[in-house]
Amino acid sequence: MSDDALTLDDIRRMAAEIGMIRLTDAHLQELLRATRTARARRAALPFANLVPADEPAHVFRLEEGK
Amino acid sequence: MNDLAWLTVAEAAELLRGRKLSPVEYAKALIARVERHDGKLNAFLRFTPELALEDARRAEAEITRGAWRGPLHGVPYGLKDIIDYTGLPTTAHSKILKDNVATADAVVAQKLKAAGGVFMGKLSTHEFATGGPSFDLPWPPARNPWNRDHFCGGSSSGAGAATAAGFLPAAIGTDTGGSVRNPASMCGIAGMKATYGLVSRRGVIPLAYSLDHVGPLTRTVRDNALMLDLIAGHDPLDPGSVAHAAGGYTAELGRGVKGLRIGVIRHFYTRDMEADPEVAAGIETAVAKLAELGAEVREIQTAPLGEYLACNRIILTSEAFALHEKWMRERPQDYGALARERIMAGAFVRAADYINATRLRRKMADAFHALFSGIDVAVTASSMDPPCRIDDPKAIGYTYGRQARAVFNITGGPALSVPVGFTKAGLPLGIQIVGKPYGEAMVYRVAHAYERATAWSERHPALA
Repeated sequence: MSDDALTLDDIRRMAAEIGMIRLTDAHLQELLRATRTARARRAALPFANLVPADEPAHVFRLEEGK
Repeated sequence: MNDLAWLTVAEAAELLRGRKLSPVEYAKALIARVERHDGKLNAFLRFTPELALEDARRAEAEITRGAWRGPLHGVPYGLKDIIDYTGLPTTAHSKILKDNVATADAVVAQKLKAAGGVFMGKLSTHEFATGGPSFDLPWPPARNPWNRDHFCGGSSSGAGAATAAGFLPAAIGTDTGGSVRNPASMCGIAGMKATYGLVSRRGVIPLAYSLDHVGPLTRTVRDNALMLDLIAGHDPLDPGSVAHAAGGYTAELGRGVKGLRIGVIRHFYTRDMEADPEVAAGIETAVAKLAELGAEVREIQTAPLGEYLACNRIILTSEAFALHEKWMRERPQDYGALARERIMAGAFVRAADYINATRLRRKMADAFHALFSGIDVAVTASSMDPPCRIDDPKAIGYTYGRQARAVFNITGGPALSVPVGFTKAGLPLGIQIVGKPYGEAMVYRVAHAYERATAWSERHPALA
Protein backbone atom coordinates (compact mmCIF):
# COMPACT_ATOMS: atom_id res chain seq x y z
CA MET A 1 0.00 0.00 0.00
CA SER A 2 1.50 3.37 -0.99
CA ASP A 3 1.67 6.20 1.56
CA ASP A 4 -0.85 8.27 -0.39
CA ALA A 5 -3.37 5.45 -0.34
CA LEU A 6 -3.11 4.90 3.41
CA THR A 7 -6.19 6.31 5.10
CA LEU A 8 -7.35 6.79 8.66
CA ASP A 9 -9.72 3.85 8.24
CA ASP A 10 -6.85 1.67 7.04
CA ILE A 11 -4.83 2.65 10.06
CA ARG A 12 -7.74 2.01 12.41
CA ARG A 13 -8.11 -1.50 10.96
CA MET A 14 -4.35 -2.18 11.04
CA ALA A 15 -4.16 -0.97 14.64
CA ALA A 16 -7.08 -3.19 15.65
CA GLU A 17 -5.38 -6.19 14.04
CA ILE A 18 -2.45 -5.82 16.45
CA GLY A 19 -4.68 -5.17 19.46
CA MET A 20 -4.41 -1.39 19.57
CA ILE A 21 -8.09 -0.80 20.06
CA ARG A 22 -7.93 2.00 22.61
CA LEU A 23 -6.52 4.64 20.28
CA THR A 24 -8.62 7.78 19.95
CA ASP A 25 -9.04 9.53 16.61
CA ALA A 26 -6.23 11.88 17.60
CA HIS A 27 -3.98 8.91 18.39
CA LEU A 28 -4.89 7.32 15.05
CA GLN A 29 -3.91 10.53 13.26
CA GLU A 30 -0.55 10.31 15.03
CA LEU A 31 -0.21 6.67 13.98
CA LEU A 32 -1.07 7.56 10.39
CA ARG A 33 1.63 10.28 10.28
CA ALA A 34 4.12 7.98 12.01
CA THR A 35 3.46 5.13 9.59
CA ARG A 36 3.84 7.39 6.57
CA THR A 37 7.12 8.68 8.01
CA ALA A 38 8.38 5.14 8.62
CA ARG A 39 7.54 4.14 5.05
CA ALA A 40 9.35 7.18 3.67
CA ARG A 41 12.40 6.25 5.74
CA ARG A 42 12.31 2.70 4.45
CA ALA A 43 12.05 3.96 0.87
CA ALA A 44 15.20 6.04 1.40
CA LEU A 45 17.33 2.99 2.18
CA PRO A 46 19.33 1.11 -0.50
CA PHE A 47 18.19 -2.39 0.45
CA ALA A 48 18.43 -3.44 -3.20
CA ASN A 49 22.23 -3.23 -2.91
CA LEU A 50 22.38 -5.84 -0.15
CA VAL A 51 23.75 -9.26 -1.11
CA PRO A 52 23.06 -12.57 0.67
CA ALA A 53 26.37 -12.44 2.51
CA ASP A 54 25.42 -9.14 4.20
CA GLU A 55 24.50 -10.36 7.68
CA PRO A 56 22.53 -8.39 10.27
CA ALA A 57 24.60 -6.18 12.57
CA HIS A 58 23.65 -8.21 15.59
CA VAL A 59 23.69 -11.95 15.12
CA PHE A 60 23.17 -14.54 17.81
CA ARG A 61 26.36 -15.93 19.25
CA LEU A 62 27.24 -18.11 22.20
CA GLU A 63 30.21 -17.60 24.43
CA GLU A 64 32.31 -20.55 25.46
CA GLY A 65 31.12 -22.15 28.68
CA LYS A 66 27.49 -21.12 28.32
CA MET B 1 29.32 30.35 45.61
CA ASN B 2 29.81 31.10 41.94
CA ASP B 3 33.35 29.74 42.11
CA LEU B 4 32.05 26.46 43.49
CA ALA B 5 29.35 26.30 40.82
CA TRP B 6 31.94 26.41 38.08
CA LEU B 7 34.51 24.06 39.58
CA THR B 8 35.34 21.23 37.24
CA VAL B 9 35.51 17.65 38.52
CA ALA B 10 39.30 17.78 38.22
CA GLU B 11 39.57 21.08 40.11
CA ALA B 12 37.16 19.96 42.82
CA ALA B 13 39.01 16.65 43.23
CA GLU B 14 42.26 18.53 43.82
CA LEU B 15 40.69 20.77 46.47
CA LEU B 16 38.76 17.97 48.15
CA ARG B 17 41.71 15.61 48.28
CA GLY B 18 43.89 18.37 49.76
CA ARG B 19 41.11 19.16 52.30
CA LYS B 20 40.96 22.74 51.02
CA LEU B 21 37.27 22.21 50.28
CA SER B 22 34.72 20.38 52.37
CA PRO B 23 32.40 18.03 50.43
CA VAL B 24 29.56 19.19 52.70
CA GLU B 25 30.16 22.87 51.99
CA TYR B 26 30.51 22.12 48.27
CA ALA B 27 27.24 20.15 48.23
CA LYS B 28 25.45 22.85 50.22
CA ALA B 29 26.57 25.52 47.76
CA LEU B 30 25.27 23.57 44.77
CA ILE B 31 22.05 22.64 46.59
CA ALA B 32 21.43 26.33 47.26
CA ARG B 33 22.07 27.11 43.61
CA VAL B 34 19.61 24.45 42.44
CA GLU B 35 16.99 25.68 44.94
CA ARG B 36 17.45 29.23 43.72
CA HIS B 37 17.39 28.63 39.97
CA ASP B 38 15.91 25.28 38.98
CA GLY B 39 12.33 26.45 39.31
CA LYS B 40 12.94 28.22 36.00
CA LEU B 41 14.99 25.51 34.31
CA ASN B 42 13.37 22.19 35.39
CA ALA B 43 16.66 20.33 35.02
CA PHE B 44 15.81 18.11 38.00
CA LEU B 45 12.80 15.84 37.87
CA ARG B 46 13.56 14.67 41.43
CA PHE B 47 15.99 16.76 43.45
CA THR B 48 17.43 14.85 46.45
CA PRO B 49 19.39 17.28 48.66
CA GLU B 50 19.04 14.98 51.69
CA LEU B 51 20.82 12.15 49.82
CA ALA B 52 23.45 14.60 48.59
CA LEU B 53 24.22 15.74 52.12
CA GLU B 54 24.37 12.14 53.33
CA ASP B 55 26.88 11.27 50.57
CA ALA B 56 28.83 14.47 51.25
CA ARG B 57 29.11 13.78 54.99
CA ARG B 58 30.33 10.25 54.26
CA ALA B 59 32.88 11.58 51.77
CA GLU B 60 34.06 14.17 54.26
CA ALA B 61 34.61 11.55 56.95
CA GLU B 62 36.47 9.25 54.54
CA ILE B 63 38.68 11.94 53.08
CA THR B 64 39.46 13.27 56.56
CA ARG B 65 40.76 9.86 57.59
CA GLY B 66 42.85 9.65 54.41
CA ALA B 67 40.63 7.23 52.47
CA TRP B 68 40.33 9.23 49.22
CA ARG B 69 38.57 7.13 46.59
CA GLY B 70 39.43 9.09 43.45
CA PRO B 71 38.40 12.09 41.39
CA LEU B 72 34.65 11.87 42.02
CA HIS B 73 34.97 11.48 45.79
CA GLY B 74 32.84 14.25 47.30
CA VAL B 75 31.85 15.62 43.89
CA PRO B 76 28.15 16.13 42.98
CA TYR B 77 26.60 14.36 40.00
CA GLY B 78 23.13 13.54 38.65
CA LEU B 79 21.48 10.76 36.65
CA LYS B 80 19.01 10.98 33.79
CA ASP B 81 15.71 9.62 35.05
CA ILE B 82 15.84 6.43 33.03
CA ILE B 83 18.75 5.19 35.16
CA ASP B 84 17.92 3.19 38.29
CA TYR B 85 18.95 4.45 41.71
CA THR B 86 17.81 2.23 44.57
CA GLY B 87 14.78 3.51 46.44
CA LEU B 88 13.86 6.24 43.96
CA PRO B 89 11.32 6.06 41.15
CA THR B 90 12.74 5.71 37.63
CA THR B 91 9.96 7.46 35.78
CA ALA B 92 11.40 7.96 32.27
CA HIS B 93 9.55 11.28 32.62
CA SER B 94 6.33 9.38 31.93
CA LYS B 95 3.00 8.88 33.65
CA ILE B 96 3.36 5.21 32.67
CA LEU B 97 6.23 4.71 35.15
CA LYS B 98 5.57 7.41 37.73
CA ASP B 99 5.50 4.83 40.57
CA ASN B 100 8.30 2.61 39.25
CA VAL B 101 10.61 2.51 42.29
CA ALA B 102 14.04 1.00 41.58
CA THR B 103 14.99 -1.95 43.76
CA ALA B 104 18.62 -1.98 42.63
CA ASP B 105 21.15 0.45 41.25
CA ALA B 106 21.99 0.57 37.57
CA VAL B 107 25.60 -0.45 37.00
CA VAL B 108 26.58 3.17 36.30
CA ALA B 109 24.95 4.25 39.57
CA GLN B 110 26.82 1.48 41.43
CA LYS B 111 30.10 2.68 39.93
CA LEU B 112 29.52 6.33 40.79
CA LYS B 113 28.48 5.41 44.34
CA ALA B 114 31.63 3.31 44.68
CA ALA B 115 33.65 6.28 43.43
CA GLY B 116 32.29 8.35 46.32
CA GLY B 117 30.17 10.72 44.23
CA VAL B 118 27.54 12.97 45.81
CA PHE B 119 24.18 12.13 44.26
CA MET B 120 22.08 15.24 43.66
CA GLY B 121 19.03 13.70 42.02
CA LYS B 122 17.26 12.45 38.93
CA LEU B 123 17.35 14.65 35.85
CA SER B 124 14.64 15.46 33.33
CA THR B 125 14.51 13.56 30.09
CA HIS B 126 12.26 13.34 27.08
CA GLU B 127 9.55 10.77 27.74
CA PHE B 128 11.16 7.32 27.44
CA ALA B 129 14.23 9.10 26.03
CA THR B 130 12.38 10.01 22.84
CA GLY B 131 9.26 12.15 23.28
CA GLY B 132 10.11 15.77 23.92
CA PRO B 133 10.26 18.55 24.65
CA SER B 134 6.69 17.98 25.84
CA PHE B 135 4.28 20.02 27.91
CA ASP B 136 1.69 17.23 28.30
CA LEU B 137 3.64 15.12 30.80
CA PRO B 138 3.51 15.00 34.62
CA TRP B 139 6.71 17.09 34.79
CA PRO B 140 7.72 20.09 32.66
CA PRO B 141 10.57 19.92 30.13
CA ALA B 142 14.03 21.21 31.01
CA ARG B 143 14.98 24.57 29.51
CA ASN B 144 18.21 25.99 28.12
CA PRO B 145 20.29 27.83 30.76
CA TRP B 146 21.64 30.19 28.08
CA ASN B 147 18.11 31.35 27.32
CA ARG B 148 15.23 29.64 29.08
CA ASP B 149 12.88 30.32 26.19
CA HIS B 150 14.96 27.95 24.10
CA PHE B 151 15.25 24.18 23.78
CA CYS B 152 18.14 22.61 25.68
CA GLY B 153 18.29 19.52 23.48
CA GLY B 154 17.44 16.02 24.51
CA SER B 155 16.67 13.50 25.43
CA SER B 156 19.25 13.90 28.24
CA SER B 157 17.85 17.41 28.61
CA GLY B 158 18.14 17.79 32.39
CA ALA B 159 21.68 16.41 32.32
CA GLY B 160 22.68 19.06 29.78
CA ALA B 161 20.84 21.91 31.47
CA ALA B 162 22.04 21.05 35.00
CA THR B 163 25.68 20.73 33.96
CA ALA B 164 25.67 23.94 31.93
CA ALA B 165 23.85 25.82 34.72
CA GLY B 166 26.49 24.96 37.31
CA PHE B 167 24.12 22.76 39.34
CA LEU B 168 26.67 19.95 39.17
CA PRO B 169 29.92 19.40 37.25
CA ALA B 170 28.94 16.05 35.72
CA ALA B 171 25.85 14.11 34.79
CA ILE B 172 25.08 10.80 33.13
CA GLY B 173 22.76 10.59 30.13
CA THR B 174 21.91 8.09 27.44
CA ASP B 175 22.20 8.24 23.66
CA THR B 176 20.26 6.16 21.10
CA GLY B 177 20.07 8.66 18.24
CA GLY B 178 22.16 11.48 19.71
CA SER B 179 20.60 12.11 23.12
CA VAL B 180 23.81 12.85 25.04
CA ARG B 181 25.37 14.92 22.26
CA ASN B 182 22.27 16.96 21.45
CA PRO B 183 21.98 18.60 24.89
CA ALA B 184 25.77 18.91 24.98
CA SER B 185 25.65 20.90 21.72
CA MET B 186 22.69 23.00 22.74
CA CYS B 187 23.97 23.77 26.23
CA GLY B 188 27.62 24.43 25.29
CA ILE B 189 29.20 21.49 27.12
CA ALA B 190 30.93 18.18 26.32
CA GLY B 191 28.92 14.99 25.81
CA MET B 192 30.33 11.58 24.91
CA LYS B 193 28.73 8.57 23.30
CA ALA B 194 31.50 6.02 23.72
CA THR B 195 31.89 2.82 21.72
CA TYR B 196 28.80 0.60 21.86
CA GLY B 197 29.11 -1.84 24.73
CA LEU B 198 31.84 0.02 26.59
CA VAL B 199 29.47 1.28 29.31
CA SER B 200 26.95 -1.12 30.83
CA ARG B 201 23.28 -0.42 30.12
CA ARG B 202 22.04 -2.71 32.90
CA GLY B 203 19.50 -0.91 35.05
CA VAL B 204 18.75 1.66 32.36
CA ILE B 205 15.30 1.70 30.75
CA PRO B 206 15.95 0.72 27.13
CA LEU B 207 14.81 2.71 24.13
CA ALA B 208 16.41 0.52 21.44
CA TYR B 209 18.64 -2.33 22.59
CA SER B 210 21.10 -2.30 19.72
CA LEU B 211 21.57 1.47 19.66
CA ASP B 212 21.47 2.49 23.35
CA HIS B 213 24.59 3.97 24.94
CA VAL B 214 25.20 5.49 28.38
CA GLY B 215 27.52 8.49 28.49
CA PRO B 216 28.81 11.47 30.50
CA LEU B 217 28.05 15.19 30.12
CA THR B 218 30.55 17.62 31.64
CA ARG B 219 31.75 21.19 31.15
CA THR B 220 35.28 20.18 30.14
CA VAL B 221 36.86 17.47 28.06
CA ARG B 222 39.14 16.33 30.89
CA ASP B 223 36.15 15.86 33.18
CA ASN B 224 34.40 13.87 30.49
CA ALA B 225 37.37 11.53 30.17
CA LEU B 226 37.53 11.18 33.97
CA MET B 227 33.85 10.27 34.12
CA LEU B 228 34.16 7.74 31.31
CA ASP B 229 37.08 6.19 33.19
CA LEU B 230 34.71 5.67 36.11
CA ILE B 231 31.73 4.22 34.26
CA ALA B 232 33.32 2.14 31.47
CA GLY B 233 34.01 -1.55 31.88
CA HIS B 234 32.76 -5.01 31.03
CA ASP B 235 29.49 -6.17 32.55
CA PRO B 236 28.88 -9.88 31.90
CA LEU B 237 25.19 -9.42 32.72
CA ASP B 238 24.66 -6.84 29.94
CA PRO B 239 24.44 -8.84 26.68
CA GLY B 240 25.72 -5.83 24.72
CA SER B 241 28.72 -5.23 26.95
CA VAL B 242 32.15 -5.83 25.46
CA ALA B 243 35.04 -7.55 27.18
CA HIS B 244 37.45 -4.85 26.01
CA ALA B 245 40.03 -3.12 28.17
CA ALA B 246 38.52 0.10 29.48
CA GLY B 247 40.06 3.18 31.07
CA GLY B 248 43.03 5.41 30.43
CA TYR B 249 40.90 8.02 28.70
CA THR B 250 42.93 10.94 30.07
CA ALA B 251 46.20 9.37 28.94
CA GLU B 252 46.50 11.33 25.69
CA LEU B 253 45.34 14.71 27.00
CA GLY B 254 47.91 17.43 26.48
CA ARG B 255 49.63 15.76 23.54
CA GLY B 256 48.13 18.19 21.04
CA VAL B 257 47.08 17.54 17.47
CA LYS B 258 50.30 18.26 15.60
CA GLY B 259 50.60 15.72 12.80
CA LEU B 260 47.26 14.07 13.47
CA ARG B 261 45.10 13.38 10.43
CA ILE B 262 41.61 14.82 10.71
CA GLY B 263 38.89 13.99 8.17
CA VAL B 264 36.08 16.48 7.77
CA ILE B 265 32.71 14.99 6.77
CA ARG B 266 31.57 18.20 5.11
CA HIS B 267 28.90 16.75 2.85
CA PHE B 268 26.72 15.99 5.88
CA TYR B 269 26.17 19.69 6.60
CA THR B 270 26.62 21.26 3.18
CA ARG B 271 25.20 18.87 0.57
CA ASP B 272 23.10 16.22 2.35
CA MET B 273 21.55 18.76 4.70
CA GLU B 274 22.29 22.46 4.64
CA ALA B 275 23.25 23.67 8.10
CA ASP B 276 22.26 27.06 9.42
CA PRO B 277 24.98 29.55 8.36
CA GLU B 278 26.06 30.23 11.94
CA VAL B 279 26.37 26.50 12.64
CA ALA B 280 28.37 25.92 9.45
CA ALA B 281 30.62 28.89 10.22
CA GLY B 282 31.23 27.55 13.73
CA ILE B 283 32.32 24.17 12.36
CA GLU B 284 34.60 25.66 9.71
CA THR B 285 36.22 27.99 12.24
CA ALA B 286 36.87 25.01 14.52
CA VAL B 287 38.34 23.00 11.63
CA ALA B 288 40.61 25.94 10.77
CA LYS B 289 41.73 26.12 14.40
CA LEU B 290 42.65 22.42 14.39
CA ALA B 291 44.69 22.99 11.22
CA GLU B 292 46.35 26.00 12.84
CA LEU B 293 47.29 23.76 15.78
CA GLY B 294 49.14 21.47 13.38
CA ALA B 295 46.61 18.84 12.35
CA GLU B 296 46.52 17.65 8.75
CA VAL B 297 42.95 18.34 7.73
CA ARG B 298 41.30 16.84 4.67
CA GLU B 299 37.77 16.23 3.50
CA ILE B 300 36.37 12.68 3.57
CA GLN B 301 33.24 11.11 2.12
CA THR B 302 30.90 8.53 3.54
CA ALA B 303 27.33 7.42 2.80
CA PRO B 304 24.69 10.15 2.55
CA LEU B 305 23.47 11.45 5.89
CA GLY B 306 19.86 10.60 5.03
CA GLU B 307 20.70 6.91 4.73
CA TYR B 308 22.29 6.79 8.17
CA LEU B 309 19.38 8.67 9.74
CA ALA B 310 16.71 6.52 8.08
CA CYS B 311 18.57 3.34 9.06
CA ASN B 312 18.80 4.56 12.67
CA ARG B 313 15.10 5.39 12.83
CA ILE B 314 13.92 2.12 11.30
CA ILE B 315 15.93 0.14 13.86
CA LEU B 316 15.16 2.49 16.75
CA THR B 317 11.42 2.65 16.25
CA SER B 318 11.10 -1.11 15.62
CA GLU B 319 12.96 -2.00 18.80
CA ALA B 320 11.18 0.72 20.78
CA PHE B 321 7.73 -0.38 19.62
CA ALA B 322 8.52 -3.97 20.57
CA LEU B 323 9.16 -2.70 24.10
CA HIS B 324 6.12 -0.44 24.23
CA GLU B 325 3.52 -2.48 22.37
CA LYS B 326 1.78 -3.73 25.52
CA TRP B 327 1.44 -0.22 26.98
CA MET B 328 0.41 1.16 23.59
CA ARG B 329 -2.44 -1.35 23.59
CA GLU B 330 -3.49 -0.83 27.20
CA ARG B 331 -2.58 2.76 28.11
CA PRO B 332 -2.05 4.85 24.96
CA GLN B 333 -3.59 7.88 26.66
CA ASP B 334 -0.89 7.83 29.34
CA TYR B 335 1.85 8.80 26.87
CA GLY B 336 2.55 12.33 25.79
CA ALA B 337 1.71 12.98 22.14
CA LEU B 338 5.34 13.23 20.97
CA ALA B 339 6.49 9.95 22.53
CA ARG B 340 3.36 8.15 21.32
CA GLU B 341 3.82 9.30 17.73
CA ARG B 342 7.58 8.68 17.64
CA ILE B 343 7.32 5.19 19.14
CA MET B 344 4.29 4.21 17.05
CA ALA B 345 6.41 4.76 13.94
CA GLY B 346 7.67 1.23 14.60
CA ALA B 347 4.21 -0.36 14.72
CA PHE B 348 4.03 -1.38 11.07
CA VAL B 349 7.67 -1.70 10.05
CA ARG B 350 7.89 -5.09 8.35
CA ALA B 351 10.23 -7.66 9.90
CA ALA B 352 12.13 -7.85 6.61
CA ASP B 353 12.69 -4.08 6.61
CA TYR B 354 14.00 -4.16 10.17
CA ILE B 355 16.37 -7.03 9.36
CA ASN B 356 17.52 -5.31 6.18
CA ALA B 357 18.19 -2.13 8.13
CA THR B 358 20.44 -4.10 10.48
CA ARG B 359 22.20 -5.68 7.48
CA LEU B 360 22.72 -2.24 6.01
CA ARG B 361 23.94 -1.03 9.39
CA ARG B 362 26.80 -3.55 9.38
CA LYS B 363 27.81 -2.55 5.85
CA MET B 364 27.72 1.15 6.67
CA ALA B 365 29.67 0.68 9.90
CA ASP B 366 32.36 -1.42 8.19
CA ALA B 367 32.73 1.10 5.38
CA PHE B 368 32.88 4.02 7.80
CA HIS B 369 35.49 2.42 10.03
CA ALA B 370 37.65 1.59 7.00
CA LEU B 371 38.13 5.35 6.59
CA PHE B 372 40.23 5.32 9.76
CA SER B 373 43.13 3.71 7.92
CA GLY B 374 43.78 7.22 6.58
CA ILE B 375 42.67 9.43 9.49
CA ASP B 376 42.96 9.59 13.26
CA VAL B 377 39.59 11.24 13.88
CA ALA B 378 36.71 12.63 11.86
CA VAL B 379 34.81 15.83 12.57
CA THR B 380 31.37 16.90 11.47
CA ALA B 381 28.26 18.75 12.53
CA SER B 382 26.22 17.82 15.57
CA SER B 383 23.00 19.86 15.19
CA MET B 384 22.27 21.62 11.91
CA ASP B 385 20.52 24.46 13.71
CA PRO B 386 21.02 26.52 16.85
CA PRO B 387 18.62 25.81 19.73
CA CYS B 388 15.10 26.89 18.70
CA ARG B 389 12.38 28.23 20.97
CA ILE B 390 10.99 25.53 23.25
CA ASP B 391 7.41 26.77 22.78
CA ASP B 392 7.52 26.56 18.98
CA PRO B 393 6.39 23.03 18.01
CA LYS B 394 6.90 23.79 14.33
CA ALA B 395 10.54 24.73 14.89
CA ILE B 396 11.04 21.73 17.18
CA GLY B 397 9.55 19.47 14.50
CA TYR B 398 11.74 21.02 11.78
CA THR B 399 15.02 20.88 13.70
CA TYR B 400 14.48 17.53 15.51
CA GLY B 401 15.76 15.37 12.66
CA ARG B 402 18.30 17.88 11.32
CA GLN B 403 21.34 16.36 12.96
CA ALA B 404 24.36 14.15 12.23
CA ARG B 405 24.53 12.33 15.56
CA ALA B 406 22.43 9.22 14.86
CA VAL B 407 25.08 8.28 12.27
CA PHE B 408 27.40 7.18 15.07
CA ASN B 409 24.77 5.16 16.88
CA ILE B 410 24.65 3.21 13.62
CA THR B 411 28.44 2.90 13.27
CA GLY B 412 28.87 2.34 17.02
CA GLY B 413 32.21 4.10 17.49
CA PRO B 414 32.89 7.02 19.84
CA ALA B 415 31.50 10.49 19.12
CA LEU B 416 31.98 13.50 21.35
CA SER B 417 30.18 16.82 21.04
CA VAL B 418 32.14 19.86 22.18
CA PRO B 419 31.26 23.56 22.05
CA VAL B 420 32.62 25.69 19.20
CA GLY B 421 31.16 29.07 20.04
CA PHE B 422 27.90 30.94 20.15
CA THR B 423 25.39 32.45 17.78
CA LYS B 424 24.95 36.21 17.60
CA ALA B 425 21.99 35.69 19.92
CA GLY B 426 24.26 34.02 22.48
CA LEU B 427 23.17 30.40 22.00
CA PRO B 428 25.74 27.58 21.97
CA LEU B 429 27.07 25.81 18.89
CA GLY B 430 28.69 22.37 18.81
CA ILE B 431 30.79 20.04 16.69
CA GLN B 432 31.31 16.27 16.81
CA ILE B 433 34.70 14.62 17.02
CA VAL B 434 34.47 10.97 16.01
CA GLY B 435 36.90 8.12 16.57
CA LYS B 436 37.43 4.55 15.51
CA PRO B 437 35.95 1.87 17.79
CA TYR B 438 37.62 2.07 21.22
CA GLY B 439 39.44 5.21 20.10
CA GLU B 440 38.03 7.37 22.92
CA ALA B 441 41.47 8.50 24.15
CA MET B 442 42.29 9.92 20.71
CA VAL B 443 38.92 11.68 20.49
CA TYR B 444 39.52 13.28 23.90
CA ARG B 445 43.06 14.26 22.85
CA VAL B 446 41.82 16.21 19.85
CA ALA B 447 38.90 17.76 21.76
CA HIS B 448 41.18 18.78 24.62
CA ALA B 449 43.66 20.44 22.27
CA TYR B 450 40.84 22.41 20.67
CA GLU B 451 39.32 23.31 24.04
CA ARG B 452 42.66 24.63 25.33
CA ALA B 453 43.11 26.74 22.21
CA THR B 454 39.72 28.37 22.67
CA ALA B 455 37.88 29.64 25.71
CA TRP B 456 34.41 28.29 25.11
CA SER B 457 34.39 26.02 28.17
CA GLU B 458 35.13 29.03 30.38
CA ARG B 459 31.94 30.84 29.40
CA HIS B 460 28.93 30.22 31.59
CA PRO B 461 25.29 31.26 31.41
CA ALA B 462 23.99 34.00 33.70
CA LEU B 463 20.95 32.60 35.48
CA ALA B 464 19.64 35.75 37.13
